Amino acid sequence: MNKLFKFNIILFAFAALLFTACEHETDTFDGPNLVDRFGPFSVLSDLSASQPTVDFGAGETVFFRAAFNKNVNWVLEITGMESGSVKRIEGFSKDVLMENATWDGGTTNLPLFVAEECSVVLTIPEEPDYIGTTTVETLSTKSYANSGVLFTDFETDLGPDAFVGNFEFEFTSSTGRQSDMPAEGNSYFYLEGTDNVVPNFFVGLIDISAAVTGETYVPVSTTVPEDLYFNCFMFSDAGPHGLAIVDFIIDSNDSGAFEDGQDATYRVADYDLATWEGWRHISHPMSETGVSQEELEKLVGIRLLLISNMNSQPNPPLAVDFGIDFMIFTNGGPLEL
Amino acid sequence: MKYTFIKLFICLSILAFSFQDAFAQDGSSEATVQEEDRSKIKFNGLGRAILSQTGIGGDILNSDSSTVENNTDGEFLLDLAINAYPNKNTEVQSILRLRNEFGGFFGAGVSVEVRELWIRGVIAEIMKYRVGDMDLVMSPYTLFNSPEDGSINEPMVFQPQKQVIDYEQFYTDDNTRRLQGAKVDFGLDFARVLDDLDINAFATRIRGTDFFTTPTRFVSGGQAKFTTQTFDDSLGIKADVGLNLVHTFDDLQSGNANTGIRNTVYSVDFDVTVMEKTDMSVHLTGEAGMSNLATAERITNADGDRENVTLTEEDDSFLEVGATLKLKKQNISVSASFVDIGPDFFSVGAQSKRIDYTAEKSFYNRIGTDRGIRQPGLFDLTRDRSLYTFSISDRLMAYDPRYANTMPYGRATANRQGIKAGVEYGQAGESIHARVDAAFLKELRGQGTFELKNFTLVRASADFNIHQLAGLKKKLKATVGLQLESTSRGGQEIEKVDLNSNLIELGLEAELFSKFDFLVGAKLLQAEGQEYIPFIQNFNDVQDFPGAYIADDTESLIGVGFKYEFKEGIYLTLQYNTYSSELGGDNPNNYDLNQVFVLYNMKF
Repeated sequence: MNKLFKFNIILFAFAALLFTACEHETDTFDGPNLVDRFGPFSVLSDLSASQPTVDFGAGETVFFRAAFNKNVNWVLEITGMESGSVKRIEGFSKDVLMENATWDGGTTNLPLFVAEECSVVLTIPEEPDYIGTTTVETLSTKSYANSGVLFTDFETDLGPDAFVGNFEFEFTSSTGRQSDMPAEGNSYFYLEGTDNVVPNFFVGLIDISAAVTGETYVPVSTTVPEDLYFNCFMFSDAGPHGLAIVDFIIDSNDSGAFEDGQDATYRVADYDLATWEGWRHISHPMSETGVSQEELEKLVGIRLLLISNMNSQPNPPLAVDFGIDFMIFTNGGPLEL
Repeated sequence: MKYTFIKLFICLSILAFSFQDAFAQDGSSEATVQEEDRSKIKFNGLGRAILSQTGIGGDILNSDSSTVENNTDGEFLLDLAINAYPNKNTEVQSILRLRNEFGGFFGAGVSVEVRELWIRGVIAEIMKYRVGDMDLVMSPYTLFNSPEDGSINEPMVFQPQKQVIDYEQFYTDDNTRRLQGAKVDFGLDFARVLDDLDINAFATRIRGTDFFTTPTRFVSGGQAKFTTQTFDDSLGIKADVGLNLVHTFDDLQSGNANTGIRNTVYSVDFDVTVMEKTDMSVHLTGEAGMSNLATAERITNADGDRENVTLTEEDDSFLEVGATLKLKKQNISVSASFVDIGPDFFSVGAQSKRIDYTAEKSFYNRIGTDRGIRQPGLFDLTRDRSLYTFSISDRLMAYDPRYANTMPYGRATANRQGIKAGVEYGQAGESIHARVDAAFLKELRGQGTFELKNFTLVRASADFNIHQLAGLKKKLKATVGLQLESTSRGGQEIEKVDLNSNLIELGLEAELFSKFDFLVGAKLLQAEGQEYIPFIQNFNDVQDFPGAYIADDTESLIGVGFKYEFKEGIYLTLQYNTYSSELGGDNPNNYDLNQVFVLYNMKF
């Protein structure tokens, strides 16, 4: 028994040592890299583009290169010299290269890029003295039309598929298709007016029939409200009194057309035009409107309303306006710019 | 692998219970069974009165007109312990605290609170139990309250203030932690192979819930310790083995607080007597085990049932094994050990520090024109109880590398590997009692770099009872403490670490008249170099390094005073302490502190 127990003790000791073998995870280190955090910064290779011109319409991309002696937070900002569009790419690395700095023609700040000369600026917030610059020319733009079901991009006259409801004659003559500052392509739709004839908040509207898509109902790729996203680009000059509304019209009476008062309408909310300036990408799942899956099969049109917030308007009231472009339905998420 | 120890634990427990000659016994070290003639109720307790005046001076006040230069403070308190014995197997204790701050009047500053409450007894003459407040300790890697930083062999002149801190924070010489809950323990004696087996288990609550984000936290665990009989009488071979398990967990059903932690540590510690003779003995000692740290969330699954899911999890192991040689005739003990503690080893019960360096100090917490927070110094560590805590932290607490950089979290400090060695001469109370310990450790995983830090720590202490050496009637005792610590790391210039610190303690205790002692002592710290102190988030994750910690510091604390001991546990001391903090030459933030205090302490 004694020998056996001694043996057990030895076995126990060995087992304890074995089970707690000195193997630890040591192929990394804890915390941020000290050299990155506190080391001096230097540029090993300045900013350059992989090619001087790029044809996004043909599926080309362009990437940028730069190299530093340590990992840094960097910001690459591409600005269209003509459109004013901005694409921003950010990263944390020692090297700016194809894997982390490729541009496929997308946009961060609307409007979309056009065929134009673009300036490219690389900055490092922690190293304010550094700035890298280069240029790249876009020969054609990235196409978003195949990213979903395009409702309309206002590139052509909507004709009988659009009804402008200027019932109180409060729209100005500027209301209609314009081409001075489109977010995409060459045209957008502009609504402008003053609620000074019948002061009832309502300025005017435009009903756009699903017929613009060539179908009676909008041929959405999914009717699951949570999966179907509505996207559009909306312009505001940040005027303090305007509201925009986008109503989705359901053909409740199965007539194949929009009959006001008979068909149901859904909306997300009023867009307060005072809250941004310039073009803005608006996107939301259709589930936010409260529409059902069955109703989405009968999306017969979209109504755009211009509202003047008379509660905040001076006397006499001021004009309100907004622009809208590139209305598209996407599946599974917002339109990726 | 983490289950292996549990299986081992269970197997050994079954093995122990399987011996036919086993029988139950009281198995306790504390007497709880009351004698027939014991009084039904007893009173004892502690009274304390302390008055102090603290002043500040130095360069920092040259441009600072908002800091009060002198501050008078104090308190009077009475802790009245009431022990009741309802029957011979049960004891109840309550400590009521009556406290009045110096300057309090008409009820302002007066507080009455329950400081301690517990009940204990024996069930069926077999099993001891205790419910309420309790002090628990297991092994240094599972549940342990490591000594505080900045102290090696505390000079007697500073000990009265330290004793106040120890009493207030429930610190004991056994490194126990104050917890609140319930525990049971019992013992078994054996006729063969094993000599005895002691088993204890506990469950305590260390934090309540706020029903929103903070769940209730519990610490539970147990320990089985057995001693074998002697296998070889000529060599005296035997073994003491302990199996330890501590589990800290959050109750994820605490209102809306449904995310919490799970920290399990299990270990086996052993002390194998390889040889026990009249002139010498050899022991093989050590502890090995693992920790598991996980975060869990209570969710509603697809079936609509509530269940806990693990969000993150990490394991790591530790090992400490060594040998001790005792030369009994020479009164010398020599020990050496190898330690390997994994970078991800996490044990809340063993790694929580006594000192919370982020706590607000009682005196001059902010000074200077910019009202910056004053860095805690030797003065604060010696006297300020508000810096100390007995609570268990759920993350690695902040530390000051000047005082402890090699093992800031005690022996359970993670991410260390190396050798420890020690030599001890004499025993406490003998004419000379000296001890030297050294540790030569390195990191296992780098912090902020793949380069690893190397640590060297030497701690020495000595007590010289001069009156015994010189044959004097009145006590004359000198004490010395020394800590030399060095940390280094290579690599690029920005990665380099080179921090050296020296802490020296000198004390003298001279009995001028019967029980009337003259006390003088000094603590000197010098630290120089550069180090990076990690900012810890989420238990033990290094989130960032706020910046290079550059030290060029010199601190000195000198105390002188008298102490009259009326009888054991009852004394009065009057002291003057002066402290200087120089944070580099010509630093406008250098300052001095001084205090005069009188402390009357009475245990009854």
